[in-house]
Amino acid sequence: MEILTGNELTSGATVYLNAQGQWVEDLQNARVFGANEAEARDAAIAATKKTLRIISLETEKVSLVDGVVTPERLRERIRATGPTAPVFDRQHLSEDGHVSI
Amino acid sequence: MYRYDEFDAAFVGGRVAQFSDQVRRRLSGELNEDQFRPLRLMNGLYLQLHAYMLRIAVPYGTMSSRQLRKLAHIARVYDRGYGHFTTRQNIQFNWPRLKDIPAILDELASVEMHAIQTSGNCIRNITTDQFAGAAADEIIDPRPVAEILRQWSSLHPEFTFLPRKFKIAMTGAPNDRAAIRFHDIGLQAVANASGEIGWEVWVGGGLGRTPMIGKLINSFVPHEHLLAYLESILRVYNRYGRRDNKYKARIKILVHEEGLETIKGQVEAEFAEVRGGVLTLPQAELDRINAYFAPPAFEALAAQKIDVARELILDPAYGRWLEHNLHSHRQPGYVSVTVSLKPIGGAPGDATAEQMEAVADLAERFSFDELRVTHEQNLVLPHVRISDLRAVYDALVAAQLADGNSGLITDMIACPGLDYCALANARSIPIAQAISQKFASEERQKEIGDLKIKISGCINACGHHHVGHIGILGVEKKGGELYQITLGGDATENASVGKILGPGFEADAVPDAIERLVDTYVSRRESPAETFIAAFRRLGDAPFKEALYGAG
Repeated sequence: MEILTGNELTSGATVYLNAQGQWVEDLQNARVFGANEAEARDAAIAATKKTLRIISLETEKVSLVDGVVTPERLRERIRATGPTAPVFDRQHLSEDGHVSI
Repeated sequence: MYRYDEFDAAFVGGRVAQFSDQVRRRLSGELNEDQFRPLRLMNGLYLQLHAYMLRIAVPYGTMSSRQLRKLAHIARVYDRGYGHFTTRQNIQFNWPRLKDIPAILDELASVEMHAIQTSGNCIRNITTDQFAGAAADEIIDPRPVAEILRQWSSLHPEFTFLPRKFKIAMTGAPNDRAAIRFHDIGLQAVANASGEIGWEVWVGGGLGRTPMIGKLINSFVPHEHLLAYLESILRVYNRYGRRDNKYKARIKILVHEEGLETIKGQVEAEFAEVRGGVLTLPQAELDRINAYFAPPAFEALAAQKIDVARELILDPAYGRWLEHNLHSHRQPGYVSVTVSLKPIGGAPGDATAEQMEAVADLAERFSFDELRVTHEQNLVLPHVRISDLRAVYDALVAAQLADGNSGLITDMIACPGLDYCALANARSIPIAQAISQKFASEERQKEIGDLKIKISGCINACGHHHVGHIGILGVEKKGGELYQITLGGDATENASVGKILGPGFEADAVPDAIERLVDTYVSRRESPAETFIAAFRRLGDAPFKEALYGAG
């Protein structure tokens, strides 16, 4: 299973594509693409690129653990929440940072 | 300190205007990210894990109070109230927003600072000894030459797209505190047989995935020919350095693969062409730049002994600070003070806006308005009267900057690691914090003595782990973090690269592993005067290996 993630242009904030085609802050709202949804995933990537507003666009492998979207890589788990030492809140989107496809 | 002339001011101002327009065009969609990325990197703007990161150059690690206050202001207004001082004597802000970058660069330009050439395959900020212009053991203040090199290398049209980034470090003292043998070019001031002062030139040093100790390519280059000689090295590198493989593109690989004698021959041939030409540095120009770095108006004071033993009894914390955080000054009655950015359990190199302002105030009041950033991620007040030390210390206590741990086990270098860095494989800061807490006891730190631990969160080695007496390298293994431990590295004139001792450790096992190494050292040293690195060189790695992995 995969999600799409990137950083929003103006704030640099970590964002995820949700099922409504919006790029949002919350990992748990991310649309999880199954193995048979490659076409939809690629269409979402293409549509996102057209916006020019999401950078460092990546697919990330995840699993669902008791319904919780859990990235395989530690890097992605840290990206989702913010630095761990000291703990800082993640970057948030500015008012002009909402992107949809 | 150097002050911008009209050319400098126009050049930096012009760049701010140019990049501001590029940001505007990016935000409006006129530029896409592929077009914009190289432009932002040329202006020190990276994208990291959580946000953009702006890396600001602190030329040769020297700053004024006004400049540090401006950095504090930027931290407070545009970032999250703190900054991170780096192993390249720069500062990074971790949370700026793209739309604010033009304003930040404008603020920086107002105090003669910028972020140009803090990224990209160009000549980066030239680093020096943090005690330059102050140290008792110094032959010459390297900063005037560093400033000339800054001017030569800034937007040098031939060297803007080198095979890879290029780092120059220099020291004016025989005791190397600038790790010059681990830079693409290292410069060490020396006197020749007739007493003239010039430069030893070391080439092809570096850390990263292929650590190399620099090789001596020329034992004496006079000031007047230094630019021509360095240009010759850069030309050879630019022509023959590998561009087919990013990981083999640094000059250290070229020197290693071709051999020093081949490279030396090519450099000499190039030097013969350019020597005596436009790059000859006239004495008048050197004198003009030297004037900016003239010693401040020191008072004529009698040499004064600091009674550390007495202070250790009266006020142990102050005594420890005196014992560890002072460096001998060439001017009687003065010392240089290291302001530790390594509080127990803190993030190495981080300073809050309030702390920056406190240090700026101290520099203004007690150090002729001058400050330094060290490659070991601390700050320095270079010129403090011995009679002012108590006042400086008290102010540092109020700012929570009075840790007397300079050079001790808790004075660690650590890169930002996987908490911030897009390249990292493992976290560095929590490892530093855990080790710091493990060795928090001042008595224990003093018992251990000088010991340098350096931590990197990936093989790129921004945390200099290869040259830590104890080095720690974080790697990714099966989705988790694992830490390899190296021993025996040394960044000084006795340069050596640490060797991996054995299998890596999980994060929570690292502090205990370090303690076993330290215990082995303490129990096996000949006397407390024998440092960790000296004992390691005498004993070899066997007892340390056994301490970590058991006998057999």
